[in-house]
Amino acid sequence: MNRGGFAGKVLYVDLTDEEIKQEPLDFSLCEKFIGGLGLTVKLAYDNIEPGNDALSPENPIVLGAGPFVGTNLPATSRVYAVTKLPSSGTIGWCGGGGMNFGCMLKNAGFDHVIIKGRAQKPVFLQIFDDDVQILDAESLWGKGVEETTEALWQEFGRPAGVIAIGRAGENKVVFSMAYIDRLSTLGRGGFGAVMGSKNLKAVIVKGSQGIEVADRKRYRALNKDFLQTIREYPYLKEWQELGMFKSFPMASELYDPIKKRRIACVSCPIGDKDVVEIPDGEYKGLVKCTTSATNLFTPLIHGLSDYRESIKCVTILDEYGLDKFEFFGLMGFVKNLGDQGIISKDQLESEVDSGSIQSIETWAGKISNREGLGDIMADGFNGILKHFGEGAVPYAPPLVRGMLPYAGPGGSISWNLFGTMELGQVLDPRGPHVGSGGSPTYFAKRPLEVFPRHLRRMGVPEETIARILPRLDSPDQEQILNVGRLLKYSHRWFTILGSMGICARAQINRFYNAALCADLYEAVTGIETDLEKLRKRVDRVWTLLRMDFIKNGKYQGRVWQKRRRLT
Amino acid sequence: MGKYTIQVYTERCTGCLRCELACSDLYTKTFNPSKARIQVTATGLDCMIRFTGECNYCGVCVDHCFYDALQKEEKVAVNE
Repeated sequence: MNRGGFAGKVLYVDLTDEEIKQEPLDFSLCEKFIGGLGLTVKLAYDNIEPGNDALSPENPIVLGAGPFVGTNLPATSRVYAVTKLPSSGTIGWCGGGGMNFGCMLKNAGFDHVIIKGRAQKPVFLQIFDDDVQILDAESLWGKGVEETTEALWQEFGRPAGVIAIGRAGENKVVFSMAYIDRLSTLGRGGFGAVMGSKNLKAVIVKGSQGIEVADRKRYRALNKDFLQTIREYPYLKEWQELGMFKSFPMASELYDPIKKRRIACVSCPIGDKDVVEIPDGEYKGLVKCTTSATNLFTPLIHGLSDYRESIKCVTILDEYGLDKFEFFGLMGFVKNLGDQGIISKDQLESEVDSGSIQSIETWAGKISNREGLGDIMADGFNGILKHFGEGAVPYAPPLVRGMLPYAGPGGSISWNLFGTMELGQVLDPRGPHVGSGGSPTYFAKRPLEVFPRHLRRMGVPEETIARILPRLDSPDQEQILNVGRLLKYSHRWFTILGSMGICARAQINRFYNAALCADLYEAVTGIETDLEKLRKRVDRVWTLLRMDFIKNGKYQGRVWQKRRRLT
Repeated sequence: MGKYTIQVYTERCTGCLRCELACSDLYTKTFNPSKARIQVTATGLDCMIRFTGECNYCGVCVDHCFYDALQKEEKVAVNE
């Protein structure tokens, strides 16, 4: 049987010595670590040396795309990056909807890219099949994320995948991110800063080599049935038209006036990314491409009242490459410190108000350019706490590993039940991020009755389902969910999806199940796989990730930054 | 010429390239957008879809479009 799915090569780039080399992918590693996220974790384990600072030239960036990426299996474009992140000081696995990047990387002949060193001046990395070059990026340095991406597309044409950073990444802001094709976020916790520390403004990829599958006959049969299942899904059109607004019907009235075009990552039948345009007001005509239109309204939770200003706000933060959750948390914290006199009026320089677009624009700029107090804010909560000392602690929001949790008091997601995301973000040394705790499989408000079906789909053994839901056989009693036990299997499911290259969003991962993943993996790669083998490989990946955390040791920040009674 | 007339509705296209993947798979036995006989360029607000000179309008791209951006009609034979 042929090897399929994998492009077959790993690209090594040393920006310090300007060395570029290609090596064949070790297929024995594919058999052990699946590919995608799994193999990226393995390569990170082999290449990240303990003791090196996240922003040092020695800290490598390891990129990867799984064996399904580039095929036409539904929603298989996921891209992963593993590196040491500056916010937590430990290993972080970062994932993003791959848009064109994953497919183009695979078509260029590479499953993984490992970037080390630091360029002497700003550069971007060009990967066009075997034509790999480190090129001058002086003209791009200082530009925003979308501006940079569009400039590269303008020069090199499409389709091409681009990972780029904005001003915040250039200036090593610890909560800066990178963006795939100018909209998919990559790396809460400072992935943008790691790229910036290498003077690496962007990576652009194009390829024309094609991806084969090992067993075409079996692949086509499995895929045909699978695609038919999706076509027959009664809510398909609703998901296609509304995306995550399907879960937030109250907000959809905001969506209708701005909606221009739905966009998708390569191969996705339920694309949930958006192009919107502000129809009126001061920002009339502003066009924004976003990873989810729901994100555009997050600033309304934090104080803005006009949805058009909210879109403008996200546009500003995305151009700089700032994590908006951390940004708003810091704005609130600094305002508190100003109110308490811990930061003087002179130090504040300018009003700090999350309800004012002018204030947001001012402080996003100050942080991204490291000007005045913005220089301290650019080092995140830990930076402020270090600078202003213990006196500042009571006025900080509850933090996890020095970061603002998504789900928690003061976070953007409601906090009224305790689920895998909440537990996962506490246990993950990296701290809170969107994948912590298997958010794709569990939101705290889901009724427990639906869990057995989803757990079976995730490949959880029957005896374990009974341990996760111990009162399942007693329907008259109040049901109990053992979140800790669920978390293990939630991580396992996320790792299956990520290692193959499948999107984890609920609207697409609902169509996959672990047994189908095993069958598809065997058909695509030719590597003998059944459910039990898959479980072992996934556990190997997750264990190695934990070993990587231990190997790299030092974590910054306490799990919870302060004690607070949770209500 | 092929069996179908293919209608294009660019306003519905999401740029997912499922059409290019299906086409290249059928004709090159690899998933390779650069070798597809349909070429989609989605730039944000705008989208362009064109067929290369090699295209025989077999309709496989239509079969794999989930967004109704492509639709096919069987050609009617006309006897003179």
